[in-house]
Amino acid sequence: MGFSVQAPGGQLDILKDINLSLNEAETLAIVGASGSGKTTLLGLLAGLERPTTGEVWLAGEHLNRLDENARARLRRRRVGFVFQSFHLLPSLTALENVMLALEIAGLDRPRERATRALEQVGLSHRMAHYPRQMSGGEQQRVAIARAFAGDPAVLFADEPTGNLDRNTGESVARLLFDINREHGTALVLVTHDLNLARRCGRIEEIEDGSLVSGQDGAQGETGRERFRLVDKG
Amino acid sequence: MSSRGMNAFALSGRLLLRQGRSGALGLLAAGLIVATAALVAVSQFTDRVGRALEREAGEALAADLIVTGRERIDSEIIEQARAMGLDTSEVILMSTAVFVGDDSMLIDVKGVSEGYPLRGQLLLADRLGGEEQPFVGIPERGQAWMEPRGLRYLDADTGDMTDLGTRELTISRSLVFEPDRGGSRFMLAPRMMVNLADLLDSELLGPGARARYRLLVAGAEGDVDAFRRWLDPRLDEAELGTITVRDAEDQTGLALTQARRFLGIAALTTVILAAVAILLSALRFASAQRDLVALLKSFGATGNQVMAALSLMLLWLVLVAVIIGGLAGLGAQAMIAEILADGPAGALPPPRLAPVLGGGLFTLLLAAGFALPPLINLRQVPPMRILNRSLDNRIGLSRLLWLLPIAGALAIPVFQLGHTRLALIVLGGSAVLALALALFGWLAMIFTRLLSRRSTAAWRFGLAGLHRRRGAGIVQVTALGLGLMALLLLMIVRAELLEQWRGSLPPDTPDHFLVNIQPDQVDAVQDELIRVGARNLQVRPMANVNLVASSGELQRDERMAGQINLSWIDRLPPANEVIAGEFFAPDATGEVSLADMWAQRLGVELGDELTFESGARRFTATVTSIREVDWNSFNVNFFVLLTPDAGELLPHQYIASFYLADGDGSVLRPLSRTWPNVSVIDVGAIIARIGEIIDRVSSAAQVVFLFTLLAGLVVLLAALEATRDERRHESALIRTLGADNPMVRRGLLIEYGIMAVIAALLATLGSAITGWLLARELFDFAYQPSLRLFVTGFAASVVLVVGSGWLGNRSVLSTPPVRILRTG
Repeated sequence: MGFSVQAPGGQLDILKDINLSLNEAETLAIVGASGSGKTTLLGLLAGLERPTTGEVWLAGEHLNRLDENARARLRRRRVGFVFQSFHLLPSLTALENVMLALEIAGLDRPRERATRALEQVGLSHRMAHYPRQMSGGEQQRVAIARAFAGDPAVLFADEPTGNLDRNTGESVARLLFDINREHGTALVLVTHDLNLARRCGRIEEIEDGSLVSGQDGAQGETGRERFRLVDKG
Repeated sequence: MSSRGMNAFALSGRLLLRQGRSGALGLLAAGLIVATAALVAVSQFTDRVGRALEREAGEALAADLIVTGRERIDSEIIEQARAMGLDTSEVILMSTAVFVGDDSMLIDVKGVSEGYPLRGQLLLADRLGGEEQPFVGIPERGQAWMEPRGLRYLDADTGDMTDLGTRELTISRSLVFEPDRGGSRFMLAPRMMVNLADLLDSELLGPGARARYRLLVAGAEGDVDAFRRWLDPRLDEAELGTITVRDAEDQTGLALTQARRFLGIAALTTVILAAVAILLSALRFASAQRDLVALLKSFGATGNQVMAALSLMLLWLVLVAVIIGGLAGLGAQAMIAEILADGPAGALPPPRLAPVLGGGLFTLLLAAGFALPPLINLRQVPPMRILNRSLDNRIGLSRLLWLLPIAGALAIPVFQLGHTRLALIVLGGSAVLALALALFGWLAMIFTRLLSRRSTAAWRFGLAGLHRRRGAGIVQVTALGLGLMALLLLMIVRAELLEQWRGSLPPDTPDHFLVNIQPDQVDAVQDELIRVGARNLQVRPMANVNLVASSGELQRDERMAGQINLSWIDRLPPANEVIAGEFFAPDATGEVSLADMWAQRLGVELGDELTFESGARRFTATVTSIREVDWNSFNVNFFVLLTPDAGELLPHQYIASFYLADGDGSVLRPLSRTWPNVSVIDVGAIIARIGEIIDRVSSAAQVVFLFTLLAGLVVLLAALEATRDERRHESALIRTLGADNPMVRRGLLIEYGIMAVIAALLATLGSAITGWLLARELFDFAYQPSLRLFVTGFAASVVLVVGSGWLGNRSVLSTPPVRILRTG
């Protein structure tokens, strides 16, 4: 699989020759320097973008064949997101932020599910609070609750601890791996933090748009394939 | 120049060039350009019409000043006027009977000398009913020009001979229009204009002849004033009087004054809208500059340097806008002048520079008031923002800075000097509406917050959208509401106010008057009028009296002194409204009711006792009511009305007013033959002229309205643009969470729909109220907002807001969700 864009100086290959697959409940860390293509890869894996060459399959669906809306519908059931800067809607309470994602997914009893998810991340006392009334760690925990409340197949986390201090980051990371274990959700982490990366079953390093090495992390477990990138080029 | 100054200059130029393409700066420039264009167009036009009006008033006199006397004006006076650089012309007026064949009638002869008319133009036709053409010059010796109705009554046409005393004259032309006939709608007899020398030779001007002598004077304003100062002390001794343009109020002048007010409203609305657009776009522009300012500061720029650079950048922008807007405004006023060219104002005087400069200066003021504060505020951006964006989260305007826009708003009526009342109505209406909009916007935010708790994703997203942009949302609803109100106000003005103004002269407005009907002829004349199809017929008694004493103190007012025509009636006549006291009770006696203007000028109050004299008869009546009279109604109206007991004893005649469907008045000829003493006066031409003015003014107003429309659209865009970045970010987020396009679209529609409904509802209400107020206060008629307006106005507003929101946010839908990853 590859991804390139047209730049003023000609075609710019952001990703090239990427072959990658992820199985059920597997954890994968994608590491690399700034500008190496980590975020683009994450966007492609999650179906936010389509590759310019090759194919992406997510939960049995061939993403190349799905249009933007179809990919959105696939995401709402199968994918959860955690961002570096949380991206909560400031005018919604913690509970409403989580409910919004569930409602978009069209799941029933969104309030109940959201409440449960927030309890699970230890925020039962903060449900009616607005993001601005919460610390960064708390906001990230709301974002995590939002990401897994709909029971997705894969949870994508883009530098989830990047904006947090060491202790808070640690507790957020622990939460992510707990969810992975308890719900069987595959986890894809994009991070600079090698300590965090090492806790994943697999680490892929990306350099200048290509995967340079694949190493097993702490877990190394396998299962049903969650996604697959095929390079046909 | 200091190095700091250099930096600020260079930086300001670079800022302007680099940011030139950003939407916010474009909108800021658009607001400034539209404001300048509207101001220049209207002030230039108002200036030109104002000067034309003075000239027009001069035309009503055919001069700038008239010296009147009972004998020929002394040659010393004429020479003095000429010595002072003024043009003069002598006029003698008298009534006499003339014959054409066997037919004779009383006519009003006017002998004119070379130069007449000094102002205005004569319209003549070669024959009765011939094509009328402007004419410069006076009748040659031996020739007479006669008014069409005189020709008709005498069964004559050009080429026929008539006599004037001992002189034989040939009727050489039909006299369609003479400028100084304006206002004298009670001219009893038709006009015949002759050369002054013929009249002097006619032997009609012997002792006892009741001729009126006039000297017409015209010239530069200063010269006329100087002549007047020279003349004033000599008036009493020489038994002379004067008439100036100020005494020559007539309906066409009034209609043009209303036209100016009308355009004034459009200009004011444009300015208010432009101010809102400028403020909104400046806020957005300033917010987009925060990173840049933080960066500059972290590189060591001081707050003052940043401020200087931003202020200079604004100045450059204003200069560009003033040039573009000034040119557009000049173009527009040329169009307006073109529309009015052969209309009421005639060829307008040439444009002057002053209004253009005034418009430019005012734009600078607007920029200082509405665009500078958000930019100045950028000083406060901490350099630390470069490391932590949340530091300044959102800088509101500091309280002190809000004083600038307020001062800017208050400057508007000052600038629009002469229209202060109008400015205050429009400004006050806008302020009240803005407050109401903000209040309702705030309430709606609370309400939608509650509502969003019990709704589904699209609604939750849409409603939450409203709520999460509470501050911006309130500003948006307010701006949208103001913009819509202005547009609706224009719609009202265009579609209804003008229509109703036009309708304020009802189709059966009296266009003919009969005067000098003797009491024993009244019934027969009335029957005859009904026979020939006269409609809206009113017959009123009229007596001529002198006011000799008052129990209160009388102010001597030249215009009101001397003889008064009064009437009597037992009930309040049409087009009259009692504003103080009570009108006569059915059997009241010894009472008098006064028109407010007359009462004010003479200083008469309710309860005063007035003593009148008519021949040997003296009588006293108590003032029991003051009336406001609609003099434009063309009804027969009187300053002084008596209870019937007092009036019926006076020697009197009758006056009738009516509308005659048949315009040429020939059906009245038998009437004037049966009763030769009765005179017919046709005012149809004046009414037609007013109708024409109203028509032309509405066309001219549309040119100005175009700018108002543009300003309204800029406000809409600026308001919608204000939150676009945020909206784009949010929609990318929820699309990342799995929302598809239809869902995002629904959310946007819900958000805009609610904003549109609030803004449209209040704007519709506000425009109806303001329209009603304007009609009442400025155009003197009761405007009735129609239900149709409410419905279409409301629906159009909703469609406009949702539609433009929709168009403006298409990019939101096409923003790839992956963007959310890139923003960190």
